[in-house]
Amino acid sequence: MASISFKHVVKTYDNGVTVIPDLNLDINDKEFVVLVGPSGCGKSTTLRMIAGLESISEGDLYIGDRLVNDVAPKNRDIAMVFQSYALYPHMTVYKNMSFALELKKTPKEEIDKKVHEAARILELEPYLDRKPKALSGGQRQRVALGRAMVRDPEVFLLDEPLSNLDAKLRTEMRSQIAALHKRLQTTFVYVTHDQTEAMTMGDRICVMKEGVIQQFDIPQKLYNKPDNMFVAGFIGSPQMNFLPALVEKAGEGFMLSVDSCRVPVSVAGLADYVGKEVILGIRPEDLHIEADMVEASGHALIEARIDLAEMMGSEIYLYYQFGGQKMISRIPSKYDVKEGDRVCLAPDLEKLHIFDKDTEKAIHQTLSV
Amino acid sequence: MKGRSGNKGVSYAKWGYIFIAPFFIAFFIFQLIPLVSTIYYSFFEYYRSGLKIIGPNPVGFDNYKALFDSDFLKYMGNTLILWISGFIPQIFVSLLLAAWFTDLRLRIRGKQFFKVVIYMPNLIMASAFAMLFFALFSDNGPVNGFLMSAGIIDKPFRFLSSVVGARGLVALMNFLMWFGNTTILLMAAVMGINPALFEAAELDGCSHLQMFFKITLPMIRPILVYVLITSMIGGLQMFDVPQILTNGNGNPNRTVTTIIMYLNNHLYSKNYCMASSVSVILFLICAVLCIGVYFSLNSGDDGMGGKKRKKKKGGVSV
Amino acid sequence: MRETKEKRGVAFTIFVHMVLIFLAFLCLFFFYILIINSTRDHYQIQKGFSFLPGTHFMENLHNVLNDANIPVVSGIKNSLLVSVGAAVLATYFSALTAYGLYAYDFKLKKPAFIFIMLILSMPTQVSALGFVRLVEKMNMMNTLWPLFLPSIAAPAVFYFMYSYIQASLPMELVEAARMDGCSEFGTFNRIVLPIMKPAIAVQAIFTFVQTWNTYFIPALIISDNSKKTLPILIASLRSADFLKFDMGKVYMLITVAIVPIIIVYLLLSRFIVAGVTLGGVKE
Repeated sequence: MASISFKHVVKTYDNGVTVIPDLNLDINDKEFVVLVGPSGCGKSTTLRMIAGLESISEGDLYIGDRLVNDVAPKNRDIAMVFQSYALYPHMTVYKNMSFALELKKTPKEEIDKKVHEAARILELEPYLDRKPKALSGGQRQRVALGRAMVRDPEVFLLDEPLSNLDAKLRTEMRSQIAALHKRLQTTFVYVTHDQTEAMTMGDRICVMKEGVIQQFDIPQKLYNKPDNMFVAGFIGSPQMNFLPALVEKAGEGFMLSVDSCRVPVSVAGLADYVGKEVILGIRPEDLHIEADMVEASGHALIEARIDLAEMMGSEIYLYYQFGGQKMISRIPSKYDVKEGDRVCLAPDLEKLHIFDKDTEKAIHQTLSV
Repeated sequence: MKGRSGNKGVSYAKWGYIFIAPFFIAFFIFQLIPLVSTIYYSFFEYYRSGLKIIGPNPVGFDNYKALFDSDFLKYMGNTLILWISGFIPQIFVSLLLAAWFTDLRLRIRGKQFFKVVIYMPNLIMASAFAMLFFALFSDNGPVNGFLMSAGIIDKPFRFLSSVVGARGLVALMNFLMWFGNTTILLMAAVMGINPALFEAAELDGCSHLQMFFKITLPMIRPILVYVLITSMIGGLQMFDVPQILTNGNGNPNRTVTTIIMYLNNHLYSKNYCMASSVSVILFLICAVLCIGVYFSLNSGDDGMGGKKRKKKKGGVSV
Repeated sequence: MRETKEKRGVAFTIFVHMVLIFLAFLCLFFFYILIINSTRDHYQIQKGFSFLPGTHFMENLHNVLNDANIPVVSGIKNSLLVSVGAAVLATYFSALTAYGLYAYDFKLKKPAFIFIMLILSMPTQVSALGFVRLVEKMNMMNTLWPLFLPSIAAPAVFYFMYSYIQASLPMELVEAARMDGCSEFGTFNRIVLPIMKPAIAVQAIFTFVQTWNTYFIPALIISDNSKKTLPILIASLRSADFLKFDMGKVYMLITVAIVPIIIVYLLLSRFIVAGVTLGGVKE
């Protein structure tokens, strides 16, 4: 049983800077949770508080049923993989992996068995006698994982473990770590600033900003139903387009207008906003160039001159301006759009996001025409 | 739940104190207490007159007055002359060698050999070196023998009986002992300069000599300051060489008596009050120089930068 | 035009080599005479200088080692003891202090660092009087303890260690050790010290040589013949009636004091020369 639970946790550094004002977070046993956010958002501090490398200024932190505020890292039954791997340079791979067990006075045969088993899973057996210096980046990364594995910890903490690898290796290790989680059946807490990593790996993702949790949910929810503009903008690449739009009453529902574009919506929550501005969010892939969609959309059309068309292979990224905002669309590459062309794009009315202009919170409820 | 204190498990601050404690305890016992008691004694009358011990009686600044009435200033001057006459050739030769060794177009054979050889005298026991020089340059020593057999002089030159000879020998030994060390420091400084700077200057039409004066010298200025000040402090401490060379009497006519030799004489004669006032003046000079060292080493940052603790913004209370 | 420039370049290169050879000669010549003279007997030395070694090396060595007035064997032993002691204490505790200031955050951290930096170049001579009085009070006159115990506080060694630790010890490594269950002292001894080995080796050599060579303070503390270190013995040669001395013995004693250091230096020269610059200066 190794759930993790933050209850009103505050982190203030000695110099008076508060990086975490009030954190409440419950991570289930055996879950893979990703903490994601821009640098300085407190995700690493949160992880380091679980590890015990950072003290807790106020509030309580539980691992399982145990209050661990004052428990030293070594007594928390956790293992951590560091961004720089933090392998001991003067020890062989074997020694690196066995060090923690030796300190725990585990019998020699058992250490040997565990190290070899981890090495076999991570395909490190040929390198056990080497020093870290003689290994490639990917191998070092695996040693760092192995060092954590041999301890059979209740909780696995990973602090941006892939950021020092090149793009190809990163994709490969991503699936390896996911597989490792399945195999080990323990709680994983993973910190990254890369939303792709977060989306592909996490059972649940916790998006943080300035020490505050913005949304904690499964990847699909985060993508399709972001709670606020920050999450909407942070998750997804290229970023979601945001347009200031005026709300008008239109029969049963409402009409959002940006320039010449008039989008009908029927979100009950908009009743209070009639005559006011809200922020309309549209993901780049939800702006369609297909002729039938454009025809069917009536006045809900975005017409613009393309400033730049980037050929990405299967897709083309279109950059243009609309309603005074910079916009991006992704269209299939079979459409031959060039810089300077005028195009009409139809937003997918099923996939609109509407936010309060001041609070930046999502205005929800029944998103259908 | 507010105001929870005592994060014993995960607070490491106390270990910082524990780890630096031995250093500060040792410093306190072996340097600070002696320093304070030295300063304290400098305001007392405390010496041996025949078999009687006079004092300690408080006398205010009398010791300092007596000090400046004695030959102290002369010894100060001696120290300065001895230091400068060793330091000027030292810095000159070192700069030249550093420039040569780091000039890639100048292909010097056996660079490593020369570096090893010129640094070697720095490791030699100064007292043994002085003894060696004394033996070599004594009136009927090998140097005189050599000069006479080569027909350069017809009777022995009494190096140690002439002011220039004695001071010259001390300066020569200081030069030999330190120019290699300075060369290596300056070389490292020159090699630390971004090579692109030299390339840019060359494209701008800079000549060899201009490059040295307009780029190299300004870029290594902090290290030159460091070398100058540490050498000054070293000069103030000059003792072993003149002491052994002249058997502690600083002859001829006490022209090679340095401040520390003077201090040593007072320590041996157990004239503690004079010894301590000499020490205090020395301490004050060194304190000023130490502040100089501090700034020469910390120009630009607080000296504690570069800590590899990436993601702990705001956390490091430095 | 091009040719003259090249010729000038060649001439300059030759000039540079001449200067270097001259300086190397200056550095080596005196040691050459020393070694030569240590192989010749008193009579030969008095007769004049020779470039060729004599045959009395063993005899001189024997005479030096068996002179009752200058206890060379115990001098070597004392010097070794003091120098090794100083090297061990200075390197271990400087590394410990550097690590303490590097790895931990505490209120007095910055003041402590600035303080050490300020006393970095303070000569010990300034407190010599107080030091002697203190040693008297501690009843340690004529013992070797006061010659190496103060090395626990060696600011210059500390500064070197601190520069090195900054460049080569990421905090994550320390944290990894904590997670692995290492105690704080365990982390220092098992992780930090091995990583600092190169710095410790360099500083151990420098401290050893420095202590081996110091004369001023030991001369004030030690008066007992059996406790004297080599520099004091050499100084006592000078104060004795010099002309009556067997010159072969004098040169031999100097050889005994200098040559071991030179041999060690030549063996490790590359390492030592590189080490001179490591901590002393940045950039």
